[in-house]
Amino acid sequence: MTYVRAIDPLPLESPDHTKLHEFYAKLADGRLTTTACAGCRRTAWPPRGFCPDCGSDRFEWVDLPREGTIHAFTIQEAGLPAGFAAPRVFAIVSVGSHRIFSIVSGADAGQVAVGQRVTFQPLRVADGPKESPRWLVGFTLSEGKA
Amino acid sequence: MMRNVALVGAGVTKFGVRKASYRDLIWEAGKACFDSVPSIRPRDVDGLVVGSVMPERTAFQSHISSLAAEALGIKPSTLSARTEHMCASGTVGIRYAYAFIAAGLADVVMVLGVEKLNQPSGDEAILNMGTGVDREWEAAFGLTAPPCFALAAQRHMAAYGTTEEQLALVGVKNHTHASKNPNAHFQKGATVDQVLCSRMISTPLRLFMCSPITDGAAAVVLAADDRARDLTDRPVWIRGTGQALDGFQLTSLHEDYAHWPALGRAASAAYRMAGITARDVDVAEVHDCFAIAELIAYEELGFCAKGEGGRFVETGRSDYGGDVVVNPRGGLIGCGHPLGATGVAQAAEIWSQLRSEAGARQTPDAAIGLTHNNSGMGEHVVMIYGREPA
Repeated sequence: MTYVRAIDPLPLESPDHTKLHEFYAKLADGRLTTTACAGCRRTAWPPRGFCPDCGSDRFEWVDLPREGTIHAFTIQEAGLPAGFAAPRVFAIVSVGSHRIFSIVSGADAGQVAVGQRVTFQPLRVADGPKESPRWLVGFTLSEGKA
Repeated sequence: MMRNVALVGAGVTKFGVRKASYRDLIWEAGKACFDSVPSIRPRDVDGLVVGSVMPERTAFQSHISSLAAEALGIKPSTLSARTEHMCASGTVGIRYAYAFIAAGLADVVMVLGVEKLNQPSGDEAILNMGTGVDREWEAAFGLTAPPCFALAAQRHMAAYGTTEEQLALVGVKNHTHASKNPNAHFQKGATVDQVLCSRMISTPLRLFMCSPITDGAAAVVLAADDRARDLTDRPVWIRGTGQALDGFQLTSLHEDYAHWPALGRAASAAYRMAGITARDVDVAEVHDCFAIAELIAYEELGFCAKGEGGRFVETGRSDYGGDVVVNPRGGLIGCGHPLGATGVAQAAEIWSQLRSEAGARQTPDAAIGLTHNNSGMGEHVVMIYGREPA
């Protein structure tokens, strides 16, 4: 028997595993969406399957803007978890009225600044069980908007 | 009618990268605690609470309270439970034991915190720390604690002019305090230059401004009123406690990462219950998982005004001879941070400080002690201890 990791930190995204599976299916299609409560119409980030305001557990999917701005960021240069490479740019991105935690990919870390515009780009990560592709929300620096 | 409750015994293991199993650490903390209070044997303990965060990942072990009870020969008859609240698990356990004893549901309860974090591969130990943030929306990106507190540090520097040197001074102070603590992970001290030249972890936090991955355990025994006085001539009384949460995910916290309202609320509740103010605190063990956390803790605990944390450490007001001695055992930065053990080790330090048994680390005339344990920037627990009951 070899040394194994039985579970990873990536979510299980399929209908077998989560009520939010449509979020991941839309992400794979290049769409950034979140939930709007069917009862009170409030949108949330991240998506949620229970509304603390009106108590409804029904929701619909709505599209979010594809452009955002960097509200705050830090560059981690050492001490990353197994499977994650340094340097890594962690950012809080303002998208519409929501704040999204994610990473900024493909940038020279020295170019990243607060207030800079970023563009949504789905982030392909390690496959899930049964070799199913998995995606997370990612961002890249917007073209020509340094 | 609530009963008064006191610490009557305390012990800690050596903290560090330990060549020891999870159970070895339980034995070691249990022995240290029982050795501190010869009037109590395992059979005299009627309740046990174990604070431990991730033994399922680090030791392939759940069912922790029963394992520890058996390891130490305790047969609980009033209370047996595990508390898991990430980095605050130990103090959350002390609150449970306190509440059971105060309510008359238990008489003598041990609270033991234990964590075996180091793994055969270092990056897996760090991967495990990701279980403490939201898997789906945070850990999946590789997030662990350093980038979260880095955002607080950046905000504090931008809003209040806090400098890298002031952050470094927290590292210097706590590494220096740890050099007088034989159980600390680090014992070599540190200079400002060493801290400022240490490796960048997550901008602007450098290695010596961060707590390390540490193995260790700690145990305390709590007892009620007269029982406490029978067991020891110098009980250390629980005078107040408070806990408050603002949010779990980074994006659901308060708007300003340098402002931690939940800590202010937890501290107010504890001070009110104890009938004291921040000025009455002689010695404090605060949750310096990162240097910025200690600066913000000074402010939210009321030791100084908002934004003045950097000046507070710079002018020596949080060290011996100042307003309040903060982190005499070396804090999480100097002692290390074996998650579930940390809050219990903080209580053990206050126990020895208020009994004037802290040796080279002793705070002169310490009568009121405080501990602050957090599980993230939006989740805080505060305890107040006194030489005299309320």
